[in-house]
Amino acid sequence: MCPLRPALPGAEDPERSRGLVMTRFSKGIPQGAVIVALGALAMLLVAACGTGVTVLQPPAPATEQGKATDWLYQVVFIVAAVIFFLVEALIVFAAVRYRRRKGDDTLPPQIHGNNVLEVIWTAIPVAIVAIVFFISWQTLNTVDAVSADPKLKVEVTGFQWQWQFTYPDQGVTIVGLPDKAPELVVPVGETVQVSLQSRDVIHGFYVPAFLFKRDVIPGKTNVFDFTPTEVGTFSGQCTQFCGLLHSQMRFSVVVKSQADFDAWVTQAKATPTPAPTPTPGPSASAGGGGGTGGQPAAVSLSAQNIAFDQAALSAPAGTAIQLTFVNNDNGIPHNVVIHRDSPTGEAVFTGDIITGVATKVYDVPALAAGTYAYVCAVHPNMTGTLTVK
Amino acid sequence: MTANADVLVPVVDRGESLEELVHAAEEHTRGGISNPVLGMILFIASEVMFFAGLFAAYFNIRSNAPVWPPLGNVEFNLRGHVLLPAILTLMLVTSSVTCQIGIWAIRRGDRKGLMRAFVVTIVLGILFLSGQAYDYTTLGFGINDGPFGSTFYTLTGFHGAHVFAGVLMLGVVLYRGMAGQFSARHHDAVEAASLYWHFVDVVWICLFTLLYILG
Amino acid sequence: MATTVLTPTATRARSGLYDWLTTTDHKKIGILYLGSSFIFFLVGGVLALAVRAELAQPGLQFMGEAAYNQFFTMHASVMLFLFVIPMLAGFGNYVVPLMIGAPDMAFPRINALSFWLLPLAGTIMMLGFVLGGSAAEGWTSYSPLANAKYSPGVGTDLWIVGLILIGTSSILGGINFLVTIFKMRAPGMTMFRLPILAWTVLVTSVLVILGTPVLTSALIMLFIDRNYGGSFFDPAGGGNAVLWQNVFWFYSHPAVYIMVLPAMGIVSEIIPVFSRKPLFGYKAFVFATATIGALGFSVWAHHMFTTGSVYLPFFSFMTFLIAVPTGVKMFNWIATMWKGSIQFSAAMLFALGFLTMFLIGGLNGAFSASVPVDFAIHDTYWIVAHIHYVLFGGSVFAIFGGLFYWFPKMFGVKLNETLGKIQFVVMFVGFNMTFFPMHELGLMGMPRRIADYSPMAGWNDLNLVATIGGFLIAASVLPFLWNVFISLRGGERVGDDPWEGNTLEWATTSPPPPYNFDRLPEIRSERPVFDQRHRLAGRATGH
Ligand code: HEA
Ligand code: HEA
Ligand code: CUA
Ligand SMILES: [Cu+2]
Repeated sequence: MCPLRPALPGAEDPERSRGLVMTRFSKGIPQGAVIVALGALAMLLVAACGTGVTVLQPPAPATEQGKATDWLYQVVFIVAAVIFFLVEALIVFAAVRYRRRKGDDTLPPQIHGNNVLEVIWTAIPVAIVAIVFFISWQTLNTVDAVSADPKLKVEVTGFQWQWQFTYPDQGVTIVGLPDKAPELVVPVGETVQVSLQSRDVIHGFYVPAFLFKRDVIPGKTNVFDFTPTEVGTFSGQCTQFCGLLHSQMRFSVVVKSQADFDAWVTQAKATPTPAPTPTPGPSASAGGGGGTGGQPAAVSLSAQNIAFDQAALSAPAGTAIQLTFVNNDNGIPHNVVIHRDSPTGEAVFTGDIITGVATKVYDVPALAAGTYAYVCAVHPNMTGTLTVK
Repeated sequence: MTANADVLVPVVDRGESLEELVHAAEEHTRGGISNPVLGMILFIASEVMFFAGLFAAYFNIRSNAPVWPPLGNVEFNLRGHVLLPAILTLMLVTSSVTCQIGIWAIRRGDRKGLMRAFVVTIVLGILFLSGQAYDYTTLGFGINDGPFGSTFYTLTGFHGAHVFAGVLMLGVVLYRGMAGQFSARHHDAVEAASLYWHFVDVVWICLFTLLYILG
Repeated sequence: MATTVLTPTATRARSGLYDWLTTTDHKKIGILYLGSSFIFFLVGGVLALAVRAELAQPGLQFMGEAAYNQFFTMHASVMLFLFVIPMLAGFGNYVVPLMIGAPDMAFPRINALSFWLLPLAGTIMMLGFVLGGSAAEGWTSYSPLANAKYSPGVGTDLWIVGLILIGTSSILGGINFLVTIFKMRAPGMTMFRLPILAWTVLVTSVLVILGTPVLTSALIMLFIDRNYGGSFFDPAGGGNAVLWQNVFWFYSHPAVYIMVLPAMGIVSEIIPVFSRKPLFGYKAFVFATATIGALGFSVWAHHMFTTGSVYLPFFSFMTFLIAVPTGVKMFNWIATMWKGSIQFSAAMLFALGFLTMFLIGGLNGAFSASVPVDFAIHDTYWIVAHIHYVLFGGSVFAIFGGLFYWFPKMFGVKLNETLGKIQFVVMFVGFNMTFFPMHELGLMGMPRRIADYSPMAGWNDLNLVATIGGFLIAASVLPFLWNVFISLRGGERVGDDPWEGNTLEWATTSPPPPYNFDRLPEIRSERPVFDQRHRLAGRATGH
């Protein structure tokens, strides 16, 4: 799997090293041996570069920040590769060169140490790590820089096990569905500022092509900027283990030209959020639901596979409603919250978050006639409409 | 922990019998700090880290809270609830003194003195525990009342558990003392138990200051 | 002159099994540790094979997510807490008192307690599998995921209880080791003549005593959150999610050195013996070990670079710095072999496996020290590669080396060298096949802890290779099991000192008698047995 490998057996080849090394270094001149090792190393590196190796390379970076990280990665990689080949070569060389011959019972020279050497091989690594640390720090400042007035702001909300992208200035919200991963659409060449929030546990926002990730932590908002440099679709995924369906928590970032992005915004505003039940605007439900008069004052609702079993409910106005809420998702918390008008309206009833499988019966106080939305506070993609009349 | 090699007197020496060796391995080594006492010091070091973890959590949560104590429950204001805990503190500090008096006694070879002092110490310890248990019943909040309740009961509760362990330890020492097992030269278990008791006392002083006085 | 004549009085032989169950002899307890830990290695390995089988192809073939999450969680928990840590404690138990010329550990009964807590804890942890599902939050058990709200069920509580017991066992063991090393050394065995293994056990014990209780406190807080309505870690109740990570890693980073320092000690015993040279730079080694231990407490937040809640430059720098003392060790091992007379016994091969593979693990860990690079590779398979290059390529290779090296001391018979070499080669190849491709997978963006991945992601081939490699590792374990079996039943009998060892354990019989020594050689250096063997030519000046 590593094209660098084929070169190694040469160094390991006992015949070769015996012939070569024994004659030249039978008196054991360490410097000479080091030179040989270094030479072998140099040859390996040249061979590696010559064949245009793409071992251990991250994906081509698709953001300005990613480019900085990629550059840093190359620096770290070369430093590590040099240390790797040098030290492995020394190990293999020592093992092969100084192997015990049959019947050899002599005691080699008993060398207990050498302070000069100790200082050297302490000082050189100190210098190396100091330099690499310094470069990393510089790059970190680039990667972590947060602009005061970004071109576009997006609020990313993670919850078990989906994402919601809200564009506050554009008034657009995208929610992922179990069968459709959400797309974060952004314009190319502009600084996008992402603020990350979680509704439940910790998630991780990760786009491999950006060479970047940041944790999505409940009770804390993390902010970062990215500036996409090319048009395209880049897959992303949750990286912080967040429970049962962590592996399914995918999304993608779609980078469009500014014109395409603007068109997308217009279109996204026109089409309501693709949720199980479209977020009902106050006017949208004026037509009245299918409920006839005289509904029993008892309704039941259940949650299964991170969705409500019913997209619409109706209930009579002015009487208390007995709401039976069943959570059928084993080990997954859900609840039901009733909001006036729409999922963002004032909450008129909030049920406890219960972890399935479990049932809870509530007495919801009497509601005035009108349209309500019910949502799961944990999973904003679980919504439905309650019509009260 | 960085013991000087020369201070450490080796166990194995010429002509020692097996019994002596085994005995040495389990109980005592000649010169320097004895095995049980060193063991206890190390154990206390680990206990310090255990409480450090709890304290760190407390400070972290406290510094993250907008106001401390959190609003919403007047009972959270423990400064107004300081009397009984102050008396308990006094008792525990006194018990440390009596414990030390016991140590001085046995170092002189005064077994009676040790017994007397330890009985007082144990009684004070038990009083402390009962007092704390009573105090819990008068508090208007529980362990599930937000971060304040969780940190308060966890810190004081685990301290209480340690007092309880200390009382047991002192009890064992007392029992062995009554059986006449200690002397001026041979009383490592007493020293070890008293070190532990002092440690428990110090933790309480920190807790008392932090939770009741500083609020 | 400074010899000890013991009068063996306590030789009343008792029936075998009862004897093993009640023993307080550090050698028997050591063997119990090694044996039970090895069983847990097989258990953890079987769980790993299940994980690998599921990942061989995209889609869910053998299990659902629920089972997968339990499997990788328990795989790591078992491997770390019930295999590597106790295994190394087992070597410490068996070898350290012998090496320093002590008759036993300082507190033999506490020693037995430390051991017996482990099978108990292991059973409690595994009980989850039959009681509706084990813990499934990863071995790091991040909160609030691990809170009752998101992880109901008794599995996580059992995991917590088990881990607290293991922690207690470790702490008691650590105290025991420290008192033993400080107080029970033979005459002439000064601190700077201690074998390096004893030094690494010493530093490890300090880490255990200072680190493990912090984990205990974290676990207790988690338990309170889960069962008594506490609000330490769930922001919904006013707690702090990142707090768990801080407390957890404050222990768990030092823990990785708990898992590797004694392994380095083992390697430092093997290499000099099979190179017929003293360990190069003994004091540098001691200082490097102590420095790693001390720095180990200042780097925990390198696991939290992506949380946006820690001061990045500090933790980055400290993490980089820890490469330096490790490098010092690496160069000293190489210098020890330099101009030596190296014999490729199975033990030495595993030690060389350690050097070559741990180097990779150290370097790919150092990538993460560079914060922006960690942003790219954190929580991907790159990290899984790192974990296994340090823990398998490091600790496990050293453990096998140690088993081959001290087996003759423990049982008076050698393990078969040919089988050992076969095992080494298959294991080495399988290991690299399994874990090297994970670097690429990580860079390509494959997150860790996923049961399933998209067939379009381009991760299929490398995953298949890794799975085949995993089964190759398992295959390499079989010759070892066979080897132990045939060797115990009639292996090659060898003398007390088959390898021409340096340290005191080779001065007594194989296996050693109760209380270890009839007489001790004079201790004038860190290689008393070497000095004795080469008395005329060596530095020991006779009587
Ligand atoms: C035995 C166990 C062990 C050991 C020894 C190490 C050693 C190191 N580890 Fe590792 N680590 C783990 C076990 C271990 N680790 C585990 C289990 C995890 C994952 C936990 C989880 O999330 O589940 C982890 C995760 C982990 C992370 C978090 C990654 C992430 O989640 O994003 C980081 C970040 O910095 C890190 C760094 C290091 C470093 C710098 C070392 C250094 O000590 C390595 C030093 C050694 C060398 C560098 C090689 C030899 C040196 C030289 C030849 C000198 C010259 C070298 C230079 C100048 C660079 N480790
Ligand atoms: C010492 C520690 C250690 C060891 C030895 C191993 C050994 C192995 N590990 Fe493990 N691993 C970890 C520590 C370790 N691991 C940790 C800490 C994690 C992180 C977990 C987390 O994210 O929380 C991890 C995670 C981890 C993952 C990632 C899971 C994920 O993120 O989704 C994978 C995937 O391939 C894996 C694979 C393997 C394999 C194939 C082995 C092989 O080496 C195993 C070798 C196989 C055997 C030893 C089997 C022997 C059995 C037989 C021969 C059969 C005989 C049977 C009987 C007699 C009953 N490990
Ligand atoms: Cu969300 Cu993993
Ligand atoms: Cu770490």
